[in-house]
Amino acid sequence: MIYPEPRFLPCGDLAVSVEVADEISLEANARVLALEYLIRERRVPGITETLPTYRALLVYYEPAEIGFDALTGALRGLAAEARPEVLPPARHVELPCCYGGELGFELEAAAAKLGLAPEEVTRLHAGADYHVYFVGFTPGLPYMTGMPERLNIPRLVNPRTRTPAGSVSIGGIQCCIYSVESPGGFWVLGRTPARLYDPAAAEPSLLRAGDTVRFRPIGRPEFDAIAADVAAGRWRPRISS
Amino acid sequence: MTVLVQDAGPLTTVQDLGRMGQLRVGLPRSGPMDRDAFVIANRLVGNDDDSAGLECTLMGPRLEFADARWVAVTGADVPVTLDGAAQPAWTAFPVSAGGVLKIGAARSGVRSYLAISGGIDTPPVLGSRSTYLRGALGGIDGRALRKGDPLPLGRSIGAPAARRVRAERIPTYGDEPSIDAILGPQDDRFSAAGIAALFDEPYEMLPQSDRMGARFKGARIEHTRGHDIISDGIALGAIQVIGEGQPIVLLVDRQTAGGYTKIGTVCSYEIGRVGQLKPGQRLRFRQVTVAAAHATLAARRAALETAIA
Repeated sequence: MIYPEPRFLPCGDLAVSVEVADEISLEANARVLALEYLIRERRVPGITETLPTYRALLVYYEPAEIGFDALTGALRGLAAEARPEVLPPARHVELPCCYGGELGFELEAAAAKLGLAPEEVTRLHAGADYHVYFVGFTPGLPYMTGMPERLNIPRLVNPRTRTPAGSVSIGGIQCCIYSVESPGGFWVLGRTPARLYDPAAAEPSLLRAGDTVRFRPIGRPEFDAIAADVAAGRWRPRISS
Repeated sequence: MTVLVQDAGPLTTVQDLGRMGQLRVGLPRSGPMDRDAFVIANRLVGNDDDSAGLECTLMGPRLEFADARWVAVTGADVPVTLDGAAQPAWTAFPVSAGGVLKIGAARSGVRSYLAISGGIDTPPVLGSRSTYLRGALGGIDGRALRKGDPLPLGRSIGAPAARRVRAERIPTYGDEPSIDAILGPQDDRFSAAGIAALFDEPYEMLPQSDRMGARFKGARIEHTRGHDIISDGIALGAIQVIGEGQPIVLLVDRQTAGGYTKIGTVCSYEIGRVGQLKPGQRLRFRQVTVAAAHATLAARRAALETAIA
């Protein structure tokens, strides 16, 4: 449910969490992103940094510039205006993905678990639009939902200790792309040659909160060609709005 | 204009005050665990607060200087020698070209800081020279120092004006500190007994602690409705409590978001003290209000301005 009034939860002496709902929904996330957008547009004095997640915005502030009550007062006013319509149009990002085989090493096991043919899992997965709620946990990692219900799958019982960067994976209702090599409990269906996290780039995360992502199935030769272009700094994904 | 790393120590990293504005892409601020000790070291040698220096963990490095500089060591109580002769900590002193500086094993505290006049001049990444090991960025190729590394320095800036910290302002780290913490964001997910345990009982730091988080064991902190939440942002100092009811204080290199309950948050001005706890050492959490914490923060900041004689 979306709360009639946001909750302000202290997170120490320098931050407050503005919680707008107790659910994961596009509406709740849009309100969080709209609140963040309004804070940036209106340049609320004393706010130093913001971090959106599913249904809450973590707001860092400088107490020498703004006290807790003044801060929550200002945020309450902005939250009342923070409707999805205030946001600029979402970006649509197309990411190539090589499903199955060596790169998608759990496609067949996931398909067996779901009682579907591997080709059907690929078709369903690549046929959906995914909403990026926020980016985090590891740098550049998008938290996404939008999966067809038939792909809902319990997470792995024994998480891997290493998952290669770029692995496109599913677990529960979520789709995740590992942005750096890390442990993981999601089923790896494929891999994108796109680099989700590049500390040398002006914008180090390829994806942003609010983006819509669609996967384009590619074969291994195209994966290798794009990967070479990515390594040479010659490749950008197709982004439209 | 370089310093040669003759011996790196177990975990020595380049840090400045940290990387702002990147939480939303999943990058924590990083920077020194003990911010006040770090800032004092910089001020002692005449640097800006944000100049890059070294954070040493338990055991410091051995460094050979190519040109003359002023240096200062603060933080954990460590022996410091220059060409074999003992030097005072919390005090600026000059190093000649060819001098070899050695920082030894911490007698109390964990993290010591070395500032060098002119600062360390590794390439900034996203606006900061701070090393973030898990993200492999900042500092020297995103990693800890290794034997043989050359550390580039900024331009030399001459002798500092004030060179010594007032004796009564030099912290000690051996006791069982009382650490201010504020309830929230998910204190409503804990029982009254669980909250009472957090503030009434001591907690002992475990060896599996690092710049990402400090793990503690002690009285069980009881949940009312399980430990999973809808993932949300993790503030600096968040006291996360998972299944076994034991607290983890999330620190400068923490993950930016997570799905476990956070009963409270350690105040910003206490993070440095947590970073100086040794495994096996205990602390107590003391509950304060946001207003009281802001008053203490202002007082601590004022005290920092008068620390150097």
